[in-house]
This record gives sequence, C-alpha cells and structure tokens, in this order.
Amino acid sequence: MSTDKLLKSNIYSFGSGGPRGSAPVLLGGQCRCGYVFFPMQAYGCEQCGNHGDALTPCELSTGGTLLAEAVVHLHADKNRPAPFTIVKVALDDGPVVRSVLAEDSAAVSPGQRMTARLVPVRSGESGETVLDLRFTAAI
Amino acid sequence: MVRTLSDLRPVYVVGVGWHRYQNPSETPYVSLGLAAIREALTDAKIEWPAVESSYVATALLGMAAGRPMLRHLGTTGAPLVHIENASASGSTAFRQACIEVAGGISDVALAVGVDKRNPVQRSNTGIDHLADDAIVPFTHFALLTNEYAARYNASVEDIALVAVKNHRNGAKNPNAQRQQERTLQEVLGGKKVSGALTSLQCTPIGEGAAAVIVASDEGIRRYGINPDRAIRVTASVGRSERIYPPGVGFDAALTRETAELALAEAKRQPKDLDVIELHDAFTVEELHYIESIGLCPEGDGVQMLKDGALDIGGRCAINPSGGLIAMGHPIGPTGIGQIGEITKQLRGEAGERQHPHARVGMAHMVGVGAVCYVHIMEGRR
Ligand SMILES: [Zn+2]
Repeated sequence: MSTDKLLKSNIYSFGSGGPRGSAPVLLGGQCRCGYVFFPMQAYGCEQCGNHGDALTPCELSTGGTLLAEAVVHLHADKNRPAPFTIVKVALDDGPVVRSVLAEDSAAVSPGQRMTARLVPVRSGESGETVLDLRFTAAI
Repeated sequence: MVRTLSDLRPVYVVGVGWHRYQNPSETPYVSLGLAAIREALTDAKIEWPAVESSYVATALLGMAAGRPMLRHLGTTGAPLVHIENASASGSTAFRQACIEVAGGISDVALAVGVDKRNPVQRSNTGIDHLADDAIVPFTHFALLTNEYAARYNASVEDIALVAVKNHRNGAKNPNAQRQQERTLQEVLGGKKVSGALTSLQCTPIGEGAAAVIVASDEGIRRYGINPDRAIRVTASVGRSERIYPPGVGFDAALTRETAELALAEAKRQPKDLDVIELHDAFTVEELHYIESIGLCPEGDGVQMLKDGALDIGGRCAINPSGGLIAMGHPIGPTGIGQIGEITKQLRGEAGERQHPHARVGMAHMVGVGAVCYVHIMEGRR
C-alpha cells in the first residue's frame, strides 16, 4: 500500500507501473465524433456539441512533442515561487496541454520528445506524500 | 452573418477623445470617463443631448458603472448599456454603437471605455487543469514567442524591435502611458518577466478613458457636423475562437479569419491598408497579427520590421499610437482609443505621428476567452 496521494486525482492517475514506477496517465475523454480532449468533462463536446453518452472517459499517454517552453521569472502567486518553467506539449493522443517542467529535467527546446512523471510537492495532513504531475524530457 | 455593417446605411466616426492612459492613481473613474466624453463632444462640435444611445465598455469596474458617470453630462433619459468582452470590450462597444446607427435605430451614438486597474475576476468553470494557476497571460505569450522564434529562426533581439518601434511612436503621443523612446539595449536589459519577454515588451496595464461618437448622414446634417472630418466605418467583424489543429496558435488563426472577413466586407486587400492599430500586448503578437492580416507571408514580419516598413512613413504604419506596449492597455478604453487614433490618422490630424497619405485604416483587438474584433475605416481624402 502506498501512502502517496495525488494533488489532482481528478485529472491524472498512476500509470500501470505503480505509484512512481512509470509515467502517469491523463484522464481525458473522447467524443463519438472522434474528438479527443483533456481533461474529461461531461458538459459537451467542443467540436460538435454532443453530450451525455456521446462522451466517454479515456486514458491519454503523457508522451508528446514540445511546442514551446518559457522560464517564468516573475509570478505573483506565492504558491508558485519563480523561477519555474512552463512547457506546451502536443500529446501523441491529440490534445495540447501546458504544465510545469520537472526541476531536474534536462534542458528542452521545441521538437523535444516529452513524457511526464509524478513528483513529491509537499506532505499531506497525515504525513502522506502529495504528488503532482510534471513534464520532463523523454530519455 | 445574414448581413454585414456595409449592407446597412453608412456610419461615421465624428468625434474622438481621451483621458490620458496612466499609471494607477487616486483619480476616480468618473473623472477619467467624463474627460474623454467631453473631448469627443467638443471634437464633433455637438452637445450631450444629441447623443441618443451610449455603450460603456469596462472590464474591471464592477456592475453598472456607467450611469454614475454619464449622469454628470445632464439628464436625457437616453438608453445605456455596459459591455464587458475582456481586452476587446471597447472594440465590442464600438461595434454595437455602429450597428445601432447603421441599422437606423439612432442617428448619433457614443462608445466610451473607462477602467481602473482593479483585480481581474474569472469565474470557475468547474473544469480543472494541470497548472493554470502558473500560466498568466505573459507566460502564454512567452510560450508563443518561443514557438515563433523556433519556427521562423527569429532571434530574441529581432522580436524585441517591435517594442523599440512602439515606444518611439508612443513618445509622440500625449495620451500614451509610456512616452519615452527606448533603445534595443534598454528593452532587452529591462526586468525579465517570462521567457524572452522583458517588462518593456509587455503592456503596462494602467487606467484611462477613450470615447468616440458615431453618426449617420442624417445625424451629421441635423447637428451641422463637418462631413470632411467624418471617417466612414467600412467594415465591422466580430468572431470567437474555434478548434484549430495542434500547433496552430488560436490567437493568430482567429485574427486571420476575422481580418479576412473584414477586408472582404470593405472590398479591400491587405496592401490597401495604410495604418493599423493592433493588439500588441506583447511584442510577438504584432508579428503574428501582421502576418495573419496578410501584410506579408508567415515568418516575414521581422524583415518588414527591420526594413522600416512598419514605421510611421513606411509601407503600413503599425500602432502609430504606440500600441498597447507604449500607449497602454487600460482594458475597457483600449479598443475605442484605437478607433480614435485611426480617425486622427485618416483626418490628417495626427500631428507628429501622422502617417503620410493615410486613407485606409484597420483596428484589431483580441480578448482572452477568446474573441477577435476588426474594424476598417476610410477617409474621404
Ligand atoms: Zn464531438
């Protein structure tokens, strides 16, 4: 049993290899029309407007290609002390997502193959480790 | 659209006015707005009772801020509506005022934008994201800067030249928040914000006001307005974001389709444009948008910039007011201030900032969310 807890278990989850063993998966969705989106939502498809049964949850790989990166030097929110790096990744499964680059990732530039992993960000109330998703250069 | 503005009766800008865009101050928004409206009325040489309808653009003042301002112009009972559409609030208010006059509901209408730098409130959609709290607008545009530089092999220095040009224009504009010329070294050496963006490559959000009065031919006749100073609005288009293929920036794609519709409505080509005021909140945007509007192929914007083609006196003056980077971006007023600048340019009244022989102008705004508004205006000369 793991004492690890996910910061946002509503939009990503542990991969098949266990808590920190492999890349996490993103909890996306697919519409009957073929449109793939992230995160899963039931409001309606952004492409065709279908809702209800037309939308089904699907797991998306975090594998993708880097479109852009930016080192943030100034950020007003004290919960996110600068500097940190934001990456924009075109996922192999379709959606484009933006998130934080892992601090120990190799330097990245557009075209770089990317993946994600879960990294400890803080301790929870009962001593468990809270994990959040970070992108990193794929080896 | 079933009909476009150009299918309706002609509508003209007949009066323009500002309160200078400036750093946040103790001045109440009421003073800012009234100064701009009174200047626009004086410019049109009409009195307040002539205004049959008002559109108040504001994003950060809270509910129904217009009436406590307009009441100090005298009691008329004319209708009033507030417009909030993010950065494009002013452009949207202007479009609605034009539609009302072109549609024959009113002969004279006011669009006024006013704002103070209050905190931005966004509603919770109920959909979570990986790290949205870490991605503010300047980081969105830092990412676009990185993408543009990589795709077109442009350097950080090349892109920063946009800020050098726009500060040079703003230095000649008494209504600009930033009125100081800056060298490339000063722009690049400033405080680092995000990615390649330094503070002088980002708009300084401040406060201010801008107002324009629009009128029909009948309104112009009835109030004895000088028709030679009236600038016709020949196209008005508003669009919102669609889904674009991965790797296609929505900002540029949305501008492309909106500008295309506006040019078709005005029966104009990109090469016909003499002056453009566009949404340069961050340097890279100006390059994206001139390419999207069709002034040059994608990736060639830097060369035009280096050749001086985008300067006042060049092939097409881009942001002669100083743009959002130097004139400023108080949100509600910005899109209306652009219309004011184009009007001055097409009248030949822009003084030190005058682009020679300006006859056709375009105003362009995008708003987060995302919407895009494009207007085309033409002078008589
Ligand atoms: Zn669909």
